[in-house]
Amino acid sequence: MTHPNQSILALYAGQDLGWFTRRRTEHHLSRCRECRGEVQAFASARDNLAALENLPAISWKPLSAEMKANIRLGLAAGECVRGARTPSLLASFVQFSNARAFAACASVMTLVAVGLFLQRPTPSAPAMAASQGSILRATASGIELNQGGETLSLLHVRTGDVTYSAGAQGSMRAGYVDSDTGNVTINNLYVQ
Amino acid sequence: MSSKLAILWVAAALALSAQEAPLDNSVKINLPADSPLTLISTNLGESHVTQRGSAVVLDLDVSLTLHNSSPNRVRGVTLLVAAQEATPGGKASVSVPSLDVAPSQNFPVRINLRLLRPAQMGSGALVQVNLDGVLFQDYSFYGPNRLDSRRTMTAWEMEAQRDRKYFKSILAARGVEGLKQAMLESLNRQAERPRLDVQVSRGRAVASAAAGDHNARFAFLRFPGEPVEPVDGWAEIAGNEARNPRIDVHNLSTRQVRSVEIDWIVSDRQGKQYMAGSVPASGPEFNLKAGSTSRVLQDTALRISKDGGTPLAISGMTGFVGQVEFADGKVWIPDREELANARLLGVLDPSPEEQRLMDLYRKKGPKALADELNKF
Repeated sequence: MTHPNQSILALYAGQDLGWFTRRRTEHHLSRCRECRGEVQAFASARDNLAALENLPAISWKPLSAEMKANIRLGLAAGECVRGARTPSLLASFVQFSNARAFAACASVMTLVAVGLFLQRPTPSAPAMAASQGSILRATASGIELNQGGETLSLLHVRTGDVTYSAGAQGSMRAGYVDSDTGNVTINNLYVQ
Repeated sequence: MSSKLAILWVAAALALSAQEAPLDNSVKINLPADSPLTLISTNLGESHVTQRGSAVVLDLDVSLTLHNSSPNRVRGVTLLVAAQEATPGGKASVSVPSLDVAPSQNFPVRINLRLLRPAQMGSGALVQVNLDGVLFQDYSFYGPNRLDSRRTMTAWEMEAQRDRKYFKSILAARGVEGLKQAMLESLNRQAERPRLDVQVSRGRAVASAAAGDHNARFAFLRFPGEPVEPVDGWAEIAGNEARNPRIDVHNLSTRQVRSVEIDWIVSDRQGKQYMAGSVPASGPEFNLKAGSTSRVLQDTALRISKDGGTPLAISGMTGFVGQVEFADGKVWIPDREELANARLLGVLDPSPEEQRLMDLYRKKGPKALADELNKF
């Protein structure tokens, strides 16, 4: 039996494969326990990265303003320096930097186009759910249902101690005392 | 200069792919016209929708104020939270048990939810919140009960009464100092209770057997007076994964049983016990007439780890009847004394009411706890 290589399995775990390769990999996984284990390991590694999502959101407006200010400063500094150069040298520099700027812009546009292509709409949830199954788990901030790439999480944000319990019928429960209201709140996720 | 331009381009592209949008009609709260609860206000707090590339992330932080318009005291509420379009096989609910809301009183319910789904789905409400059930002081119930919340909330209310009775008996016998001692014991027990990370899988190839897999038999704990007894049971074990539990139960009572829940404890190679979950059985396919035997079975897989991800090698399984619901809606739960005698209090999760009382003690002290117990 020929096994898919590691990068194919990693992309499969992240649901990043194209339709044809995904189907072919699924077919192989249905018969190969070893590769299923590899996929599970990649999926677990991805889960550990989920904590990184809790990083504070980047405020793009101030960042953009700062970058524009830096560009203006750079241009102003360039104007100051320009006066000291000889005309012939300046002309060749401008020609060279225009070419570089054009090449850079073309590269960036290609990058953005490729990025948009890769972020194309994903297949519909039912189709994915049927092939991937459903997983319920507890995370640092709540409980999560993952179904073919779509996730539904119930979070506990105003609490200290949380109790979790799993139901073999396909449920996950998190119970805690809401520190604002003093009421016990029990979040449940169910999968059929 | 070209590198700065490149950064600007990338920043612009990222900014375009992570835009926040107003909530508009993303959330819909539905209460039936004849509901004993009325919606007073909905506060969406810091809720927002974020577009990330081809996906939409909905962060919902909803605070509802509900009004008890019934003549009975409300003991518990369950709201069904549905995002069916994104997770067609999944449902969520938020329950608030251990309430004591008098007629004409308001009370809050909070829902914190995150939904990640493709952006191109339909334009309707992303999340619908419906009332699944309300439990009253006299155990009467209102609601469609789609999530079996009548049984769940009745069991929580019975546990609440059981645990309040226990702490009140200590208060009566040993005063506030005795109550303080009992609370410290509860807090210590919870702090020392071994905890597991359990992942539940369904819909995958959970039935596939492979080398190293084996069937492990349950050992059962039995309580005096239990209406249903576990007879035999087993599950497939492969390393830290337990699959497809099957438990035969016998109805010892003279009444028809509608549902049974078997609590499931696993032990590691050192014999340390951990609460893994429960194996419930209910619905029309589960029919347990008086004196008959039936099977509780679930096609699912529990993957169990501890200490932040270390797989737990399962070397033993113990089960006991944690809940029985009769056909008339009445529920049986084990006595606290029986749980203590079986040394289960250090393994089981505390009841929601014990959790609430511990929190009250921690924040306000033994006197406030005694006052709270005396209200009931």
